[in-house]
Amino acid sequence: MSKVQSIIDEMRKLFGDRVKSVIVDRKILKVEVDRSIVVEAARFLKEKGFDHVKGVTGVDLIALTKPENAIEVIYHAGSYADEELKGTVLSLSVKLPRDEPEMPSLTQVWRSAEYHERETFEMLGVRFAGHPDLRRLLLPEWYSDIPPLRKDFKPAGRV
Amino acid sequence: MYCAWHAGSSWGRPKTGLFNVTLGSSKVVLDSITSVTVPKAEEREAIRRFGLGKAVKVERRGEVNFVVQWIRNRSLIRYIVNWGKLSSIFPVHLTTACCSVEYAGTVGSRYDPERFGILNAVGSLRQSDLLLVEGTVTAKMAQRVRVIYDQMPDPKWVIAMGACAISGGLYAKDSYNVIQGIDDIVPVDVYVPGCPPRPETLIHGFVLLRDKILNERL
Repeated sequence: MSKVQSIIDEMRKLFGDRVKSVIVDRKILKVEVDRSIVVEAARFLKEKGFDHVKGVTGVDLIALTKPENAIEVIYHAGSYADEELKGTVLSLSVKLPRDEPEMPSLTQVWRSAEYHERETFEMLGVRFAGHPDLRRLLLPEWYSDIPPLRKDFKPAGRV
Repeated sequence: MYCAWHAGSSWGRPKTGLFNVTLGSSKVVLDSITSVTVPKAEEREAIRRFGLGKAVKVERRGEVNFVVQWIRNRSLIRYIVNWGKLSSIFPVHLTTACCSVEYAGTVGSRYDPERFGILNAVGSLRQSDLLLVEGTVTAKMAQRVRVIYDQMPDPKWVIAMGACAISGGLYAKDSYNVIQGIDDIVPVDVYVPGCPPRPETLIHGFVLLRDKILNERL
């Protein structure tokens, strides 16, 4: 954990207050950054040894007990090459406004984020600028409702 | 049997009784098929009384097919024909979800449903009689299920296996992509509940289907 701690400290020093919050726990390791620096932060993490993305998660925060008008996109980065970071999963998270959920794509940094970003795009409607192939992945071709994992989506149910 | 009735002209009985039927206001001459006209109200009445599937057979009383049906539905002939269908049911192994594991266990040698005439279909789906929908059907898969059902020849039956195929199961009511029961897509004969159903439950479903086949009208 010491190397991760040093990486996060260095990140804080580098980006200042645009690193919004940091959670270092036994199980959770999460860095929330601003939308404007997410590509730089990802490049920085990749230089330090986090060489691939295990998954991209989208969360709609409107239905919490303390609701925020935001969609949170979380990149779970891990490492194959570095011995010390082998078991670590670092979550890099960005909060986007719900009305205009748009962010630069991180496929230019981590190539393995491509399909995960496509899934986040179709399930939550987050648009990734600069994504090489931003199409639907799993939903039916005729689907025409709002993105289904948003919390204000009403399923049709049985008629 | 069909050929003898379809010959038609060699039928020597006078046109009385069964062959002269008055429907509504118009007296129908039942000599040729083209002269049969059924008013709309009669059609609706027939559908209301007999259901959509049987109404066609009931309202066209003058046709040769009606006579064929009438004779085939005498209880002894019906029993023999149904008995012939009963013991060679080839189910389509349509894997849509995890219930197919239980189905694979069912058709194995331990439970041996071949005792009841159920033998797993190998080869083309167009030669099978029973569509076994095993588990959750998503909106994308629903089209494929319907296409498979349409390709199967008559007579054909459908078994909905598991809670998901019956009513959506775990994904009932709040799912964006799961069909809430496959009877929205295909007509279902037997529902086999369970999550997943044990092989004994599925075999009970097979026995119920045999009972249904033996007693159904042609």
